[in-house]
Amino acid sequence: MNETAIKFKNFHYGYINSDSILHDINLDIRKGSFTVISGPSGAGKTTLCKAMVGIIPYYYGGRYAGEVEVLGAPTKGKRVSDLSMRIGLMLDDYESQLVSITAGEEIAFGLLNHGFAPEEVELRTKQALLDVGLPGRENYQLDELSGGQRQRLLLASILAVRPEILVLDEPVSAMDPEGAQGLYKLLYKIYKEYNMTVVVVEHNINFLLSYATDMIVMNKGCVAAQGSFEQAAAMTYTIPELRRNLPELWQIKLHLEKRFGVSLGDWRKKEDAIKELKEKFVGGALG
Amino acid sequence: MIEAKAVNFAYNRGQPVINDVTCKIEDGEFVALLGHNGSGKTTLSRLFMALVHPRSGQVFVDGDNIENLEPADLAHQVGYVFQNPDLQILEDNVFSEVAYGPICKKLPKDAVKEQVIAALEAMGLENLADAYPRTLSFGQKRRLGVAAALALNPRTLILDEITNGQDEQEKDNMMAYLEKLNKEKGITIILITHDMNIARKYARRAIVLNNGDLVFDGRTQDLYNGERDLNEWGLSQPVLAVLSAAMGLSAYSVEEFCQQLFPKEGDER
Repeated sequence: MNETAIKFKNFHYGYINSDSILHDINLDIRKGSFTVISGPSGAGKTTLCKAMVGIIPYYYGGRYAGEVEVLGAPTKGKRVSDLSMRIGLMLDDYESQLVSITAGEEIAFGLLNHGFAPEEVELRTKQALLDVGLPGRENYQLDELSGGQRQRLLLASILAVRPEILVLDEPVSAMDPEGAQGLYKLLYKIYKEYNMTVVVVEHNINFLLSYATDMIVMNKGCVAAQGSFEQAAAMTYTIPELRRNLPELWQIKLHLEKRFGVSLGDWRKKEDAIKELKEKFVGGALG
Repeated sequence: MIEAKAVNFAYNRGQPVINDVTCKIEDGEFVALLGHNGSGKTTLSRLFMALVHPRSGQVFVDGDNIENLEPADLAHQVGYVFQNPDLQILEDNVFSEVAYGPICKKLPKDAVKEQVIAALEAMGLENLADAYPRTLSFGQKRRLGVAAALALNPRTLILDEITNGQDEQEKDNMMAYLEKLNKEKGITIILITHDMNIARKYARRAIVLNNGDLVFDGRTQDLYNGERDLNEWGLSQPVLAVLSAAMGLSAYSVEEFCQQLFPKEGDER
């Protein structure tokens, strides 16, 4: 079954007093996919995320044309708060999304605004903290949590609403590799457990190589490649200026396939690559 | 030259952040300062520029103990570029932004102009001298931060995660400028980074901190030999280093790696 979670149809957008940022976007993000969005800085990735959750154009204004659909319904005319019941957004500047004094209040804030009963708020708060590995921290003040924990708290406050789609814009940009791997591992666990659709903007696809099912590559406000991870990677490799956005493992794989006309496996881990390289290749002098 | 001798530091009588660190960075070196979040690398770099002072031990810059100095006293010796370029922007155009430091140091007008132009040229911003800083791209803002530090002619530049959030092309541009500063002008570069590929490719020496302890100080190529387990320090080996080690190669780019590989007999089609 290939249902669509998010669809862009001939979508164009430009912020007020700025040039056009997104040009004729036609996209299908599959329901149940773990989609990574990549591309050079300034390609329009963040703008695309904001359009998915409706804050573009409704909060930002600007000029737009075309349509965005979330789970089959156009976002046009919908309130952002209504959309947020089905699609949650975590921005790269996560601190700006935190508004409360304690962890419990932070999660309850969104739920109460959506009109959930207090008993339900309590249950969902408890579960959301458990889901992100912060069980029993309801009464912790935000400044008692580390940066990584605050980021997970924000994730919990979005998850508590139980949206079907989760959109994250560069969630690990300020983390060390260990922290980044930890957050993505957690995200993947939640994705599997709740059968969600996850969309992540990430420069360093190495972190997501084990998890990504689909990929979208943006360039200069346009969609340069989209589809399954394999298809989109192969397409991206044909565009020299975008090639280096691919994980190194895939740059090597696609380079060797092209150079020697061989077909190599679906390398998701270093170990996959090493095994096949040792089977099929030998090191030699510069050729 | 910057030297730390048995330096210990903690913020506000809290947990120790730097534990008995001793190291010496000579003029003209290109050093990567590595470690997990909270390992103490930013704090160590702050100690190097007198933004904070050791609880015990000493820091020397060009042989002088800096215990009674402030960052401004060292600005012409040690330049610091923050992780977030927006925090460093104070003026309404690029030229004034870069001129801010030299003007504060009360340099003569001609010298200010000369040093600003040299700094802008060194970072490829000479055509943007009149631009409003906030309209620059993220990569340009990062280079503006470096230019502002350079305008004071420091002999050492400390750069805190300046390639974070940049795409591969922007990273290459920034690193090419820094490499040129190091090689052609002999400026010492201390690069705080989480990017293992950048550290491996550009830095000749690596210093690793783990929970405030100095756990490695040596050649970058010995750290990234593809075999050493760096996980215990919250670091990882770059993919290319691991693959190169596994295949018995030495490669610093995908192209180099692929050029050194050939199909085993019978596998070429």
